[in-house]
Amino acid sequence: MKTLRYFLLAFVLIITVGPFVWQLSTSLKGAGEDIYTQTPSFIPHQPTLNNYAKVADAIPVWRYIGNSLVVAALTVGGNIVFATMAGYAIARLKFRGRSVVLGLFLSTLVLPGEVTIVSQYVTVRDFGLADTLLGVALPGMVAALNVLLMYNAFRALPQEIDEAAIVDGATVPQRLLRVSLPAVRGTLAVVAIFAFIQAWDDFLWPLIVLTSPEQYTLTVGLQYLSGTFTQDQRLIAAGTMIAFIPIAILFSALQRYFFKGVEEGGVKG
Amino acid sequence: MRIRLAAAVTALALSLTACGSGSSDSADSDKITGTITLQTWALTPKFTDYLNEVIAGFTAKYPGTGVKLLDQPGDGYSEKVLAQASSNTLPDVINLPPDFALPLAKQKLLVDVSKGDDLSKTYVQGGVDAYKFTGVDGVYGYPWYLNTDLDYWNVKQFSDCGLDANTPPATTQELFTQAAAMKAKCPDNFLMSRKPDVSDFVRAGIKITSDDGKQFVFNTDQAAALVDQYRDAYAKGYLPPSVLNSDYQGNSKLFTQGKVAWTTGGATGLADFERDNPSLKGQVTVSKALDTPPLYVQGVSVSAKSKYPATAKAFAQWITNADNQNKFGHLVNVFPSTISSASDSYFGSDDGTPAGKARALAFGELKDAKNLIPYEVNADMQKLLDQQIALAVKGDEPSRKALDDAVAKMNQMLSRQ
Amino acid sequence: MKTQRWFTPWVLTIPALAWLLVFSVWPSINTLRLSFTDARPLGGDYDVVGLRNYTDMLHDGDVRTALLNSVIYMAICLPLLTILPLLLAVLVEKKLPGIAFFRTAFYVPVIASAVVVGLMWTWLLDDRGLINNLARALHVVAQPVPFLTDRWLVLISAISLTVWKGLGYYMIVYLAALGNVRKDLHEAAAIDGAGRVRRFLTVTVPGVRGTMFLVSILVSVAALRVFSELYILTGGKGGPGGKDQSLVMLIQQYAGGFYGNFGYASALSVLLFVVTLVPMIVLARLNNRSER
Repeated sequence: MKTLRYFLLAFVLIITVGPFVWQLSTSLKGAGEDIYTQTPSFIPHQPTLNNYAKVADAIPVWRYIGNSLVVAALTVGGNIVFATMAGYAIARLKFRGRSVVLGLFLSTLVLPGEVTIVSQYVTVRDFGLADTLLGVALPGMVAALNVLLMYNAFRALPQEIDEAAIVDGATVPQRLLRVSLPAVRGTLAVVAIFAFIQAWDDFLWPLIVLTSPEQYTLTVGLQYLSGTFTQDQRLIAAGTMIAFIPIAILFSALQRYFFKGVEEGGVKG
Repeated sequence: MRIRLAAAVTALALSLTACGSGSSDSADSDKITGTITLQTWALTPKFTDYLNEVIAGFTAKYPGTGVKLLDQPGDGYSEKVLAQASSNTLPDVINLPPDFALPLAKQKLLVDVSKGDDLSKTYVQGGVDAYKFTGVDGVYGYPWYLNTDLDYWNVKQFSDCGLDANTPPATTQELFTQAAAMKAKCPDNFLMSRKPDVSDFVRAGIKITSDDGKQFVFNTDQAAALVDQYRDAYAKGYLPPSVLNSDYQGNSKLFTQGKVAWTTGGATGLADFERDNPSLKGQVTVSKALDTPPLYVQGVSVSAKSKYPATAKAFAQWITNADNQNKFGHLVNVFPSTISSASDSYFGSDDGTPAGKARALAFGELKDAKNLIPYEVNADMQKLLDQQIALAVKGDEPSRKALDDAVAKMNQMLSRQ
Repeated sequence: MKTQRWFTPWVLTIPALAWLLVFSVWPSINTLRLSFTDARPLGGDYDVVGLRNYTDMLHDGDVRTALLNSVIYMAICLPLLTILPLLLAVLVEKKLPGIAFFRTAFYVPVIASAVVVGLMWTWLLDDRGLINNLARALHVVAQPVPFLTDRWLVLISAISLTVWKGLGYYMIVYLAALGNVRKDLHEAAAIDGAGRVRRFLTVTVPGVRGTMFLVSILVSVAALRVFSELYILTGGKGGPGGKDQSLVMLIQQYAGGFYGNFGYASALSVLLFVVTLVPMIVLARLNNRSER
C-alpha cells in the first residue's frame, strides 16, 4: 500500500515540478551553454552560481525583497485579522442581516475586477498613497475569498464548543481567540499562504502605483533584467528563482499546520 | 440600514475627490529652473551611468535645476503610461515611441515642441515626421534614437541544405524561391519564419488608407495574392506552424532555437542570439533587410501639465542633442536622429567584427528606411489583422475574405477614434 | 440567554465590508455606470450612449465565440478540479517520510512564473515538441498533432494547463478541510469493515462538503474568467482568427491600450458578472438542497 502511495506521489511529482527544474537548470547554466535549443538539457554542463551574483550586481535585490516583504506582511496581516473577524461573525454569531452580509461577500467573488485597476489607482492616489508600499498593499488587505475560507472553517466546528464556553461566561472575543481560532489554524495557514503569494507575485498593480524605482517590489524590479536592448535568459531565470525561494520556505514552514487544527484545538475527536 | 448609508457616504466622498484632482498652479514658466522628472523605458541598470552623465551635464549648464530619473521596466509600459495619463501624473519629460505619443497628443497631454523652433534643421526628416500626426497640428516629441531591421541567416543550415549564405534572399520573392530550395533538400528545416503583416503590404506598394485617412483600403486583390502566396508556402511546409501564433519577436525566438534559418532583428540582435544559444556563434551571417528597410523611432516628449515647461523642453533638447546622442550610439547599436551625427565616422565603419558589420549595414540602410507601419494602424488593429491573416495562411478562410473582415473591423475601430 | 451585544457582529464584519465596498463594490458600480457610455481608457470627455454597448454586444461574433469558449471551459474544469485535488489531498494527507517535500512540490505550478510555464508548455505541445516527437516515434500519429494552432485543441490544451495549475491550489484548500474531518468517524467506519473507497465516500466526502461547494464555486468562477492560459499558449493572439479568445481577453483588449473602448469593456464586464452569477446560484441551490 505504501509503495503504491509513493508511486502515485512520484507520478504527480514528475508532472508538477517541471517548471521548477527548468528554471533552476537555466539559472545555473554557464555562458557557453545553449538555453534555447530544440531539445533543452535539464542538467547544466557548466554549472555556475555566477548568474545569481550578476542579478545582485544589476539590481538592488535586497531592497526589492525588503519592499516585497513589507507589502506581503501588510497583506497577510490584514487578511488574517479582518477575514478571521468577519468569517467568525458570519459563521458563529446570530444577527439580523447575516445572510445578506454572506451574500455580499459571495457576490464580491464574481464582481468584475478586470477594468477597475485605474479607478482603484485613483482611489489610492486620493488617499495620498500613490508611490507608497501601503498603497500597493491596501486593496489586497481584505479578500472576499479569505473571508469565505474562514467562514467555512468556523462553520465546520461543532456547536458544542461555543455552548460550553458560553456556560463558562466567555465573551465573544474570548470565544474567538481561545476556543475557535486554535481549531482553525490549518485554514489560517492557507489564508496566510494565499495572501502572501497574491502580494508577492502581483506585477501590474505595484507597477501602476509605484513610480520611484527605489520603491519597487521584487516582481517589478526583476523586470529590469529584461532591458530594451538586452535580455539574458539565464539572469531572468536566476531572478525568478530568487523570487521563488521565499514562497517555498513559507509554504514548507506552514504546511505542517494544515493538520494540527483538530488535534490541538481542544475539540474531542 | 446603517451599512447602506455608510456605503453611500463613502461613494459620495470618493466621487467628489475623484473630480478634484489635477493641479493647475503654473510657476514661472519661462525660466529654466526647478526639479523635473524624466521617464525612460527599460534603460537601467545598463545605461544608468550614461543617463546620469547626461543629467549631470544639464544641471551643470543650468544651475538651480534638477532631474529625477524614473526608469520604467520593459513590461507593462503602455499600462503605466496609460494610468499616468488618465490620472494627470505624467512625468515632465517622457520617452515615448510615436504610437504612444499619438493618442496622448490627441488628448492635448503633450507639448507641441515645433513652436518657435525649426526641428528639421537639427533632426533627420524621418525622425521629425514620426511625431507629426494627421488631425493634430505640430510635432509632439523630439526624435531620439533610430533603428532598423537587418536579416540574420543561419549559415550552417544554409550550407547543409544547398543554399549559399553569401547570397541570401534580398527580396520577399527570392525568399519564397530559396525557401522552396531548402525544403527540397532538407524537409525538416524552415527558411521562412513569419507571416505577412501590414508592413509587407506597404513594402509591396499596396495602399493602406484612403487619401483622407478615414478608411482602410488594403483589402485588394494584390494583397490577397500575397497572402495566398504565404498560404501556399505554409501548406508546402516552408514555415513552421508556430508562426500562426507568433508576434513581432516570434521569429527571433525561433531563430535562436535553431528552428528556422532566418530572422529579422535590430542591429543589436547578434549578441542576443549568441548569448542565448552559444552554438550559433560564428554561424550567423547578416544582410540588409528585404525590399524596403523599416524605420523605428524613439522620441522624447514633454508633458503639457509640466510645472516647469521651459526646463522640461530644455532637457528634452539636451538629451537629444547630437553630442549626447552620439555617445549613446557608441554604447549600443542604435543611431542618432541628429543630422550632424552623419559626420561621426563611427556609425558607418565596419570594423571587421560581426557587430561592426551589422552596425555599418544598418547605418547605410537608414537612408532608405521608411516607416512601414502607418500610425493609424495601432496595436489592437495589428493584432486583429494578425488573427485574420493566421486564419488565411492556415487555409481556413480565403485570403480575400480574411482581409475584407479585417478591414471592416479596423474601419470600425478607426471611426471610433 | 444573552450571549453577545447587538453590535458585536457588526464590529467584527465592518472592517472587511468597508474594504470590499471601497475596493471592489464601488469600482464595480463605476464599471456599471461606464458601461452606458463611450468612455476611453485615456480619460477625457465621454458621452452617455444608453444601451448601445449592450446591443453592439449582441451582434459581436467575437463575444459569442468567447462566451462559448468560457462555457466549455467551465463544463470541463468544474468536475475535474472539484474532484482531482481532493484525491490528491487525501494522497498527501497521511504523515509519511518526506511528505512535506511532496506537498510543497505539488504546489509549484501555482507559483511558477507565467513565462516559464509558457515556455515549458509550448516546448511540450509544439509541433516538434516532446509529446509530438514521442507520439511520432511510437507511431501513434503520422502527422504532428496541432495542439497550439487548432481551434479546439488549443482550448483542450489550455484546459489541461488550468487543471495542472489548479491541482496544487485547491489541494491545500482541501488539506485544511481534511484536518477538520473527525477521526472517530473514520475509525468507526473501519471497524464496521468499510473499505477505502467506501470510507472516502461515506466519511471524507460528507466531511468536506462545505469545502467542495466553495471549491466548485471558485473553479467555475476562475474557469469563466480564464485569461492567462489561453494568452500564454496563443502568444496573446487568441489563436488563428481569434477563435480561442475568452471574455476576459476581450475585456483586456478593449480596456487596455491607448485606443481601447472603456465603455464597451465595461459592458462586457457586466456580461461576465451576470454569466458568473449563473453557476454560483445553481451551485448554491444544489448545496442547499443536499444540506436539507
